[in-house]
Formats: sequence, C-alpha cells, structure tokens
Amino acid sequence: MADHIVCTVEELPEGARKIVEAEGFLIGVFNCGGELLAIEDRCSHDDGPLAEGELDCAAGTVECPRHGSIFDLRTGRPKTLPAFAPVETFPVRVEDGQIKLEVD
Amino acid sequence: MNPPPETAALDPKQAEREAIKDINQDYKTKFGFNDPETGYVYKAPKGLSRKLVEDISEYKGEPQWMREFRLKALEHFLARPVPQWGADLNQIDFDDIHYFVRASERAETSWDDVPEDIKNTFDKLGIPEAERDFLAGVGAQYESEVVYHQVRKDLEEQGVHFVDMDTGLREHEDIVREHFASLIPANDNMLAALNSAVWSGGSFVYVPPGVEVEMPLQAYFRINTENMGQFERTLIIADEGSAVHYIEGCTAPVYSTDSLHSAVVELIAKPGARIRYTTVQNWSQNVYNLVTKRARAEADATVEWVDCNLGSKITMKYPSVYLMGERAHGEILSIAFAGNGQHQDAGGKIIHAAPKTSSSIFSKSISKDGGRSTYRGLLEVAKGASEARSKVVCDALLLDPESRSDTYPTIRIDENDANVGHEASVSKIGEEQLYYLQSHGLDEEEASKLIVNGFIEPVVKELPMEYAVELNRLIELQMEGSIG
Ligand code: FES
Repeated sequence: MADHIVCTVEELPEGARKIVEAEGFLIGVFNCGGELLAIEDRCSHDDGPLAEGELDCAAGTVECPRHGSIFDLRTGRPKTLPAFAPVETFPVRVEDGQIKLEVD
Repeated sequence: MNPPPETAALDPKQAEREAIKDINQDYKTKFGFNDPETGYVYKAPKGLSRKLVEDISEYKGEPQWMREFRLKALEHFLARPVPQWGADLNQIDFDDIHYFVRASERAETSWDDVPEDIKNTFDKLGIPEAERDFLAGVGAQYESEVVYHQVRKDLEEQGVHFVDMDTGLREHEDIVREHFASLIPANDNMLAALNSAVWSGGSFVYVPPGVEVEMPLQAYFRINTENMGQFERTLIIADEGSAVHYIEGCTAPVYSTDSLHSAVVELIAKPGARIRYTTVQNWSQNVYNLVTKRARAEADATVEWVDCNLGSKITMKYPSVYLMGERAHGEILSIAFAGNGQHQDAGGKIIHAAPKTSSSIFSKSISKDGGRSTYRGLLEVAKGASEARSKVVCDALLLDPESRSDTYPTIRIDENDANVGHEASVSKIGEEQLYYLQSHGLDEEEASKLIVNGFIEPVVKELPMEYAVELNRLIELQMEGSIG
C-alpha cells in the first residue's frame, strides 16, 4: 500500500476534481460537498475517461462521457448500463493540509 | 378454362415485372396509402432546435427533470458524428425532418372517439379487429403521439399498467423516473441521443408481481406524413414472477422522400419474470429504421426478442439482453428479409454478467434482388459469469448472385468454464434443390417459396399463430416474382 499526495486542500475546492496517476492507475479525485471521493479514471464498459464526466454531487455520481453510464463514486458500481462491472474506488484522507490517496 | 389472353401473351421476364409491380401496388393499397392532414393539431416545421425540444416538453406539460434530460440529450446528439460503421446513414438529412407532428388531441379509449381518417386507417390495418379477437390491450400511435389506448379491465384491476409513454410519465412519474434511460442512457449512441431529445409516444408497461398476462399486448405504429421522424419510447417492467408478451407492428405510406423512425426500448425483467417482445417491422421502403433496444434480466428471469425485419430502406437494430442475475436466460430470434434497395443490418447482443446464465441467438436472413443483409452480433461472457451456456446460430440465404450477405459475429469470453457454440452458414438457393422440387411438380417460384419457408420455419413457429400467418403472407409477397 502506498500513499499518494494529490494536492493541498485549497487546491481542490468543492465541486472540483483532479486526475492523478498513481501505481499505474489513472484516478479521479473529487470534492463532493466537502466529501473527498476517488474513482478509477477508466470506465469498465469501454475504457472511457470516466473521471472527465459530468459530476452530480447531490447523487454522488459521475457520468461516463463516452456512452453515459452513471457510476456511484462511493462504491464504484454503475447505476445504469451499458457498463455493468464496478470500477475501483480508493480511500482518500486529509493529513497536514494535504489530500492523500491510498493505492494498493 | 382459357387463361385470359393478356397473361398468355406475357413472356416470363415481363410476367416477373408484372408480379413485382403487383407487390408494390399491394403494399400501396394495403399499407402504403396516406391520409389527408386535415384536423392536425400541430405540425412542427422541419428541423431540430433547442426551441423545438423545449416546445415538445412544454406541450406535454412535463416535469422539469424530463425537460433537462431532453436538452442535455440534444447536446449529446449535436456533438456526435454520424456512425460510419454498418449501413450507410450519410444520406439522412436531419434538417429535412418534421420532428413532432400531433394529429389528434389525446389518446382515446374508444375507437369511436378517434378522428375519422385515423380510425379508418387502423380499420384498414385490422387493428380494432385484432384487439377484439386475441389481444389483451392495444396502443395505436399515429405520427408522434398515441391516438388510441385500451387495456382489458380485468388486467387493469390486477394492477397492470399499459398506457402510452406520455401518460405513463404523467401518472406513474416515480416508476418512470427510476427506470427511464437506466438501460439506454441518452448518450449511448447518436440515435439514442436524438430519441432522448425529441421522444414522443411509445408504451409504458408495468406488470405487478406474480401477474401473468396471458394474451399479448400490442402497439401499432403508423407514420402518415412525408419527411416524418417518429421517435417513440417504450419502457416495460415485469415485476417479480410476472409474465408479459408485447408485440409491435408498423407500416407507412410509400413516398419518394425519406422518413426516419428511431425508437428506444428498455425492458426490465425482475427476478423470475418473463418478457417476450415481438416485432414485425414492415415500414415502407423510404423509411430509415434505426432503433436501440436493450433488456435487463435479473435472477431466474427470461427475456426473449423475436425480431422480424421485412420493410424499411435501411434498418440498424441489435436488440440486447444483459443477464444480470443468476440463472437468467436470454433469447434472440431474428429474421431479416432484404429485397431490392434494402439493407437489413440486424442481429443481437447477449451479455452474460452472472453465473449459470444461458442464452441463444438464432438469426436467419434472406437476400434477394440485390438486397443486402448483415448479421452483427455480440456474445460476451464477463468475468464472474461462471458456468455460462450459449448457442449462436446464424444462417443466410441468398436467392440470386446480385444479393449480398455479411456476418460479423463477435465473441468475448472471460470465463474458462463457459460453454459456447457458434455456427454460421451462407447458402445459395441451389440448382439441385430447385431441380429436385421442380421434378416433383412445383414450378420454380413455388419451389423457392418452399425453400424460404423451410429456412425461416424455426423462427416463425415461435410467433403467435396470427403473426406467423401474417409473416408468412408478407414473405410470400416479398417472394412473388423474385425468380427470373
Ligand atoms: S465507455 Fe463508459 S459507458 Fe461506454
């Protein structure tokens, strides 16, 4: 397990996102109403750039820009087809003003 | 008895031309007529715009979320290029289409209240008669909206909802909101995006747990006006342990300019439920038929698509079943018939996403007079779908050297213990077969018909009797005069 520093807390205000590379994964880190959530930036349907999709903070979801599957940011599970397999999610925490991502 | 002299005088080529002419005339008189547009409530000018989408939503008095869904879909549509795989769609002029045409005020529950011309049309097509004889419910869509809708009282009392989609959204907003676009997001593909922006009509069906609807529900779609776009939207939900058979048919007048039909259909079979969805597609040969159909089968559920494509200029349609729960079963039976000037690009997709799921795809296509048929299929066994079983069989029959058939089967398997069989064949009507049958006293045309009938029989026998008869009759029409 490795910690990966994403950025400082100030650099990721509410509604913002950052896509980082860690341990061979591309990962999208989102600030959803103060809650930090991280999801693999690769759709399980057809490798779409998931973390670039439309964010819905109220629902806690992101929509794949390629064919529109909606993923739950907390569980990584798709809520609509055409994707049906979950994507990876990662724990995120704040330490000394830094946002840190845990990647296996 | 003497044959009438003019027939006797025809040489075979001429006789063939006569017969072909007759087919067109038959479509024209039987299905290809058009009504005057008197009494129309609203006909949008040609072309697509944000304003039009807002107007449709406004007309229908929709909730805000649906209006937003439509507007977002419009953006997706405008951002997507015309697909360059499959059939040739480059000739479609999206600015030359009427996207919304309202022929009557509302969906009536008595045929007597349907405007005269429209009622006559459905009379000619035999819909009220079929309703009396063997259907549990009927929806009749004319242009953009449903003009008649009725379901048998006893089913209504058991809690079955069968209404047009606009009414479904008004009366069952919660169920619709939960499931609408959950299988086919607006951004799934270009035509799904277009449908999502301008959808109108279609059916909403909900069958409560344990209720089995024994007789079929039918929807009939009719385009009347020229350069029309019809975009119905259908959502069928079969709750736990319930069963339903839904049938759709369609026809249109024969025009020299093209129309567009682009539907989105979503089926949800909850645990132990069964849905069968049968299509007899008989659009006139100036209609582009570009449809997205997808189903989700949960544990122990079954979904079957019976998909017969006879009409249209170009069809692109690949109904799919996602087998999401253990022991779910999916079946696709596809018949395509491509005559002169037609391209039937059809097939099906099955995705095994749970253990012990099973499926089959049977596809039969017939091409004649330079027609083109394509089978395009996907069979996927995803990781975790252990002990999946599937069988894919696709056969193509070519009736002459000018016709064409292509097969694009994709098989993806991520489990070691999957049991998957695949067979494909292309056959040409053989001299020997014909010779054999002719030596038994049939003429060439009868012999060809017999071969075609034998070829599609396995699919036809899955249809309810009335539709099997109808399909055979339509194929016979297509076959007449096809042998040079
Ligand atoms: S790639 Fe994400 S939905 Fe297709």
